[in-house]
Amino acid sequence: MKRSLLLILLLFATLTHRTNAGEWVHFPAYRRTVLSNGVTLLVMEKHGAPLITVTLALKSGSLQDPAGKEGLADITNDLLRKGAANRSAEQISDDLDFIGATLETSTTYELTRVHTEFLKKDLTAGIDLFTDLILKPTYPAVEVDKLLKQRVDGIKAAKDEPLEVIGHYYQQFLFGSHPYGRPPGGDEQSTDRIRRDDVVRFHELAYVSSNMVIAACGDFSAVDMEKILSSRFGSLSPKYITALTLPDPDPVAATRLELIDKPDSTQTFFRFGNTGISVTDPDRVVVDIVNTLFGGRFTSKLNTALRIDSGLTYGAASSFERRARPGAFFINSYTQNDSTEKALNMALNVLKDLHEKGFTDAEVASAKAYIKGQFGPRVETADQLADLMIRFEIYGLDKKEVDDYAARIDAVTSADVLRVIKKDYPTTNLAFTIIGKASQIEPVIKKYSAQIETRSISDPGFGKK
Amino acid sequence: MKRILSLLALVASGLVAKAEPLVFPVETATLKNGMKVLIHEDHSIPNVALYIFFKVGSRNERPGITGLSHFFEHMMFNGAKKYGPHMFDRAMENSGGSNNAYTSNDVTVYQDWFPSEMLELIFDLEGDRIRDLNFDPKMIDSERGVVASERRTSVDNNNFGVLNEQFQAAAFIAHPYHWPVIGWMSDIQAWTLQDLKTHFSMGYAPNNAVMVVAGNVTASKFLKLAEKYIGNIPRRDPPPALRTVEPEQMGERRIRVEKFAQTPIVMIGWHVPETANPDYYPLSILQVILLNGESSRLYRRLVDKDQLAIAVDGGMSQSFDPMLFSITAQPREGIEPEKVEAALYEELDRVRKDLVDEKELQKAKNTLLAQFYRSMKTISGQANTLGSYEVFFGDYKKLLEAPDLFEKVSRDDLKRVAQKYFGEKNRTVATLIPAKEAK
Repeated sequence: MKRSLLLILLLFATLTHRTNAGEWVHFPAYRRTVLSNGVTLLVMEKHGAPLITVTLALKSGSLQDPAGKEGLADITNDLLRKGAANRSAEQISDDLDFIGATLETSTTYELTRVHTEFLKKDLTAGIDLFTDLILKPTYPAVEVDKLLKQRVDGIKAAKDEPLEVIGHYYQQFLFGSHPYGRPPGGDEQSTDRIRRDDVVRFHELAYVSSNMVIAACGDFSAVDMEKILSSRFGSLSPKYITALTLPDPDPVAATRLELIDKPDSTQTFFRFGNTGISVTDPDRVVVDIVNTLFGGRFTSKLNTALRIDSGLTYGAASSFERRARPGAFFINSYTQNDSTEKALNMALNVLKDLHEKGFTDAEVASAKAYIKGQFGPRVETADQLADLMIRFEIYGLDKKEVDDYAARIDAVTSADVLRVIKKDYPTTNLAFTIIGKASQIEPVIKKYSAQIETRSISDPGFGKK
Repeated sequence: MKRILSLLALVASGLVAKAEPLVFPVETATLKNGMKVLIHEDHSIPNVALYIFFKVGSRNERPGITGLSHFFEHMMFNGAKKYGPHMFDRAMENSGGSNNAYTSNDVTVYQDWFPSEMLELIFDLEGDRIRDLNFDPKMIDSERGVVASERRTSVDNNNFGVLNEQFQAAAFIAHPYHWPVIGWMSDIQAWTLQDLKTHFSMGYAPNNAVMVVAGNVTASKFLKLAEKYIGNIPRRDPPPALRTVEPEQMGERRIRVEKFAQTPIVMIGWHVPETANPDYYPLSILQVILLNGESSRLYRRLVDKDQLAIAVDGGMSQSFDPMLFSITAQPREGIEPEKVEAALYEELDRVRKDLVDEKELQKAKNTLLAQFYRSMKTISGQANTLGSYEVFFGDYKKLLEAPDLFEKVSRDDLKRVAQKYFGEKNRTVATLIPAKEAK
């Protein structure tokens, strides 16, 4: 009996998609339904591990925070698990942990995310919890109070780790008064202004049917899952959220620099750049190639210069944070205090060389091979597939982003590469954010900008008020 | 010889009465030079995860050469015979692969992730560096700077890192777990070429390693390539067995670290046995009950109810020798670390005095099962889990026995281990106190 059972199971194992060497990945088929109240359901089967992922994405995020109350969207989202329907915060934690389920909440500018994963055998319990949390949070005053205080302390503690906070400082310094300059997690002062009423009102505003996209991926029948989700979310009364008009951010007009003093620091942490590209930029695939070569992999130009060849740092990189509008572009690294000038100069020289020398055909080919070779693990798990379904939905993209990616990569020419270098990698008019021991590095830092602002890491907030 | 690892046994044990059986075939072999190989075929993506576990870590060092295993991990990327300085990374990334490595107290693990058509190139690269690693003085100096920078980032500029280093040094007064994996800064600056060569020949014997692969490979083809490129690397004596055993701790140890900080940190550890010890199972369950999720004892008491801590975290890491069960907490603004400590000990005393609820025990078993499935979601996770079991439990098949052994743990077992290990004499307490001024 055991033998034939084994055989059947082996057969089952081989029915999963068999990939031949050289064959590109296919984004699996999924069902998309928009309910009459505007809720969008995206459902994909994935068999193998007996796990189910369900992710809610709201088509709005921290950009909806009222002025002075940055962090409200994030807080409203984090508080979902602190009381819902007839369950207290404790009961919710007990129920989640008893089945070994995970629950993650996160917010960014344009997206609010609630993600849960549980074992297939716990489907009903998992979906029940998920639904209650999203639709019927109770926001007990005691819990709201607790969480707000925890967050303020958490922000202060984070300032002990420069790498944890340099992004918040840079974002605010780069974008200034543009909405992208407001911290999605808030800061000590904005958190202090938030009250329970704000949270309740925010939930009513944002957690509405037309604003909801729910993606489920895992070991279930798609038809059944669709039925279950429809029954839970279909009776929500149809409501809309006012869309925000978001202008493009202004690029940096003249170089500016902020120095954040952390007097005990033995290293200088820096991040500099300008505005970058959006999620749907027509050159996004070209940028993938250029950035891989410039600062996106271990053997990139930046890392080769600053780590491999000179040993000045443990890591140097460049990134484009892509959003609905152009997000941040930056070069980042860190080095010990007395090599601050050397490292900054080196990074700026690599940027200069990018324009003067560009890349050889062999280098471009290597980036193409790297990107294609590293792609498989990005579409491996149910969580990743659910997030991609959401991404396509939110940004008006489709599964060609995956299915056609290899062909798009292959189609990039050296002319494209040159064009993107000129367009997307600015060498002048840069914003610099530097965290370090001001008493030691200030004389050196002065050389990089005529405009310098200094602040202390102990100051509340992440920049100028 | 093919062994089918099957969770049919799990169904039989009743632990997952309603779970679907999962087939997880593992093929094993030993190369002619003694390197053990574990292969799991998974064709869902056209990629491969290849991990090589060398059973050498900071526990195989001595004062003067601390951090050398970790430095060695860096040097393995800096040039061998066929592929010269920096060619390893270039050849790999240019063809579509990426890599990393990590060093612990016990092992050094090399990780390669690549599209399946690169398999032979990967073997060429790995064979070259395991057999003929080159030691160039210029390379040594440059990499020394990188490691110094890594130390500054992960320890000197990181309050958790600073505290952990002092904490572990106080908990272990004799055994090699006393010094940090990254090494003392003075040792980093002092390593010589000869130190490196000696360490290489000591630790990097192929018979001292386990190779694990998960992904889009065919076992027979894989083994052929392994024999061709790795099998003829001569075997050597493995590292000598450790002599020093940590003597029993005879009283609480307390240390203070004064440093510029926004918030204090408390780190407490108790000596517990090595991973292969039977108490690993009840201790793992206790770890879930105490620390996993917002329903855990310590989160509930310290973070939620009494609001004494921003966060509480901890547990055990896998080890060859007796290690620590450690707990780290960050006190809230205005809360004295001693208050956090006191509450923590009260919670531990509860599990020492009273049996946990039946439901709590079941929760922990359910959590461990879910964690197991999660660890096997990716080919990377599969390679890591298989390799860790083989190396720390002595046999990858222990993966199959684990659910049964967890299922057998009773409430009395939990009380027994809590009483045995979580006492005052067995603990080391380290506190980071924000200094008034930075130096």
